[in-house]
Amino acid sequence: MSETVISVRGLTMGFGDHVVMKDLDFDIGKGEIFVILGGSGCGKSTLLKHMVGLYKPMSGTIAIAGMLMDPDDGETFRRILARIGVMYQGGALFSSMTLGENVALPITEYSGLRGRAVDDLVRLKLRQVGLEGFENHLPEELSGGMKKRAAIARALALNPEILFLDEPSAGLDPISSAELDALILRLNRTLGTTFVVVTHELSSIFTIAGRVVMLDKTTKSIIAEGDPHELRDRSTHPFVRRFFNRQPEMET
Amino acid sequence: MTNTATLHISTGPDALALTLRGVLNLATTPDILARLARIPCPLPKLIRADLSDVTRMDDCGALIVMELSRMTGTAGGRLDLEGVPDHVRDLLAFLRLDTPPEPGIRRRPRPGFLTRFGEKTMHVVDQSASHVSFVGEATVTLASLLRHPGRLRLGDTVMYMQQVGVDALPIVGLISFLLGLIMAFMSAVQLQQFGANIYVASLVALSMVRELGPIMTAIIVAGRSGSAFAAEIGTMKVSEEVDALITMGFKPAMFLVAPKIIASALVVPLLAVFSNLFAIAGGLLIGVTTLDLTVNAYMTQTMNTLSIFDINWGIFKSVIFAVLISTVGCFKGYQVRGGAASVGQATTSAVVSSIFLVILTDSILAVILRYWRP
Repeated sequence: MSETVISVRGLTMGFGDHVVMKDLDFDIGKGEIFVILGGSGCGKSTLLKHMVGLYKPMSGTIAIAGMLMDPDDGETFRRILARIGVMYQGGALFSSMTLGENVALPITEYSGLRGRAVDDLVRLKLRQVGLEGFENHLPEELSGGMKKRAAIARALALNPEILFLDEPSAGLDPISSAELDALILRLNRTLGTTFVVVTHELSSIFTIAGRVVMLDKTTKSIIAEGDPHELRDRSTHPFVRRFFNRQPEMET
Repeated sequence: MTNTATLHISTGPDALALTLRGVLNLATTPDILARLARIPCPLPKLIRADLSDVTRMDDCGALIVMELSRMTGTAGGRLDLEGVPDHVRDLLAFLRLDTPPEPGIRRRPRPGFLTRFGEKTMHVVDQSASHVSFVGEATVTLASLLRHPGRLRLGDTVMYMQQVGVDALPIVGLISFLLGLIMAFMSAVQLQQFGANIYVASLVALSMVRELGPIMTAIIVAGRSGSAFAAEIGTMKVSEEVDALITMGFKPAMFLVAPKIIASALVVPLLAVFSNLFAIAGGLLIGVTTLDLTVNAYMTQTMNTLSIFDINWGIFKSVIFAVLISTVGCFKGYQVRGGAASVGQATTSAVVSSIFLVILTDSILAVILRYWRP
C-alpha cells in the first residue's frame, strides 16, 4: 500500500456505556477509495464522525496524515480540518444561504481567492455536480438529490486531500448516482483525493471501491476487508455473502 | 508534491505571451490571478499562453484559463493555449471550458422599491388569509372537543400544563414579588407626603390584580412558552413530522394545537393569581418595613380595595391572553418553511406578535370596561 493517510488503531467507540464497535484497526492509503459497509445501524456513520473528529473515541486513536485526531488540541485539529472535506447524510446545507453562498463560504474563508474568481470557482464546482445555474437558489427550493449534490460541491470547495462522504448516492436517481461515481473516480485519478465513503449501494461499491471494510453489529468488529469483487466471490462469511448478493437473512 | 507555480509574462507589440509552469491549484492560483489583474491595459489582440510545463492543474487552476479568456473577450481578441498537456485538456473538457465562457453569475436582482412594497403587501394579505384559516381550524377543533372530549390528547395536555404553568412558577413569582416591592416603594415616596401610607396597599393590589398581574404573566408566558410552541412546531415542519402526522390521518390542529391552547388557558390564569399574591406580598414587605403599617392593616386595606369582580376580570383577561399566546405560537410555527433560519424567525415573530396582541387586547378590554362599569 502507498503512504498511509488515515490510521485507526484500537478504536473503541460508543455512547455512555453502550459500545458500538470495539478495537477497530485499519489503515487507509493515500489516493485510495475506501468504502465502509455494514448493515443499517451498525455504526458506519458513527465511525465516520469519529474519523472527522466530531465524536471522541472511548479508547484508541485516529491519525490523519500523521497527525493525531484530538478535537481538544485546537492547532492540530485545525490543520487536520484544512485537509479534509465532509459531506453529511442529509446534505447539511445552511438553509439561510443560497447554494452559491454555501459553496463560496469555505472558499472565501480559507483561500486567497476574491471577487469574481470566487464566483467562477463556485460555478465550476456546481458544474461538476450538475447544478450550474442554481447558484441563487436556497436549499429549500431543491429536491433531496440536488441538496446532496450541492453538499458534495461544498465538500469539494477546497479540493481537500481526503473527502468523507456519508451515503452520497442515497436518494439519487441512477443517472445522478452514476455521475457521482464518475466524479469520485475522476477526482481520485486527477487530484489523488482519498475517499472514505459510507454507502449501501452495491453498484456504486463495485464501481468505485478500491477496498472495503465491513462492520458487523453483533460482533462489534470488522468481519471482512478487501476488494469488493473478491469478497463477493470468495468470502466464506455468511453475512458478507448475503450483503453482496442481496439475500434476506431468512433465505438459506 | 511541490506546491509552486510560476508565471512568466512577456508583452510584445501584437501579442501577450504567458508561460505557466508548475502546479496550478488553490494555493498558487490567487497569486497568479492577482498578477494577471495587474497587466496594464489595453491588452494586445492576441494572448498566447504556454501550458506545456504545467505539471498539475485542478479546477482552481482552471480559473486562470477562465480569466485569460475573459481578458481576450474584453479586448475583442483571441486566446491561444499552446502546448496543452493531456491532463489539462482533459480537465478543461470536463469543466466545459474548452467552449467559450458564459457570462458570470448573475446576482439575484434586487427588485425595485415599488415591487418590494407590492410583494410585502401581498404577503400581508396572504398571511392574514392563512391566519384566518388557522384560527378557523383551531376553533373548529376546539368546538369538536366539546362534543368529543375523549379526543383530546390528555397526556400531552398535562405535560404542557406543567411546562407552561408549574415550570414558570418560580420566575413569575420572583418577578411579581419584585414588581410589588418596587411599586410600593415608589408610590410610598409620593403618598407619604400626604400621610396616605395606607393607600399603598390599595395601589399595589388594584393595579396588580386588574392590570399588571395578567400582563406580566402573559409576557413571561409569551417569552417562555409561546416561543417554545413556535420552535417545536416549526422544527417539526422542517423535519416533515407535520407531514407525517397528516398522512397518518391525524389532524395537526388536534394533535399539536389543541393540547397547547387548552393547557395554556387552564394554567395561565392560575399563574396570574399566583403573580398577584406575590406582588401583594412584595408590597406588604415594604409596607411593614418602611411605612409603619401592620400586616393586619395592610391586608385589611387590600381586601377592602379589591372586589370579587376585579379578581374575576383579571382571571378572564388571563384566559384571553393565554389563548392568544398559544394560538400565535402555534400559528407562527406552522408558517415555517425551509430550515433553521426560518424557525428562528418564527420564534421571534411569535413572541413579538403575542406581546403586541396582549397589550392591544388589554387596551380594548380596558375601554370596554370603562363603558360597562363606569
